[in-house]
Amino acid sequence: MAADKETIIGVETRISGEIRGDEDLVIKGRVDGKIHLSQALTVEKGAIVQADVDVRTLVVSGTLVGNVVASESVRLLPSARVVGDLAAPRVALESGAAYRGRVDMGDVEAARAAVASRAVGKPVATSAEARDRSAPPRMAPAPKTGVIAPRAIPAAPRAPTERPAGAIASPPAFPRVAGVVGGSAPAWAKKKVRRR
Amino acid sequence: MANTVIGSSIVIDGEVSGEEALTILGTVKGKVAMAQNVVIESGATVEADVEGQTVTVSGRLTGNVNAREKLELRPESKMVGNAKAPRIVVADGASFKGNVDMDA
Repeated sequence: MAADKETIIGVETRISGEIRGDEDLVIKGRVDGKIHLSQALTVEKGAIVQADVDVRTLVVSGTLVGNVVASESVRLLPSARVVGDLAAPRVALESGAAYRGRVDMGDVEAARAAVASRAVGKPVATSAEARDRSAPPRMAPAPKTGVIAPRAIPAAPRAPTERPAGAIASPPAFPRVAGVVGGSAPAWAKKKVRRR
Repeated sequence: MANTVIGSSIVIDGEVSGEEALTILGTVKGKVAMAQNVVIESGATVEADVEGQTVTVSGRLTGNVNAREKLELRPESKMVGNAKAPRIVVADGASFKGNVDMDA
């Protein structure tokens, strides 16, 4: 059923629990729990989300703590503050975005299965795919160097006003990300976690 | 208007709280506690205790309502639960089962 309106969680609203649905969701306030959407999730600047997220596309300009599985793409805008693993075929980290966690641009389905099994308290899936995903060699170079593999950004659809997609794939374009990936928690992340 | 909108295909299982207005077109199970107005639109399903300044129901609501100002049940609404509000309006055609308490 097509919705007349998109779903908006306002600045002064807090949801704790699980959100599921088949339409776009924009979070400006606070959500703790789980988010499962067949459409796009936008975490606006100022929003705080502590949730495991399973969506089609994710755009973050606020703060997100949790593991993310996106069947299409993940984009962290310059004001984004994100801690958690990202699994998506396309991942874009823009200059200025602060991120800590693992990125997996490989098999999203395996990642989804792993997240799902974690959610119900079972051990991580025993399928070959899931084992493969957890094996370090598959994404080994990325965390060490902070460089996201070049295949990551195949000319992702972007608003014309923003800088060209090529800039994202080049390492010097996001020194902050390079500093954060695989490192210890940045001060802002520690603060956020402590505040809970 | 409402600052928070829960769309028709959205299901929330948990607690929704905040300082602003809330419009529900989808499904909410758990608890709703807002400082401003809560509108449960036609087609929406709410299985929760609801707290708000004014609570307006056009859809289905199962749970207790505590409205600080007013509770309004619109013609097509269906509510099961206790209603507590200084002013309560039940439109012709609304379905309601529960206790009413206007002792603000």
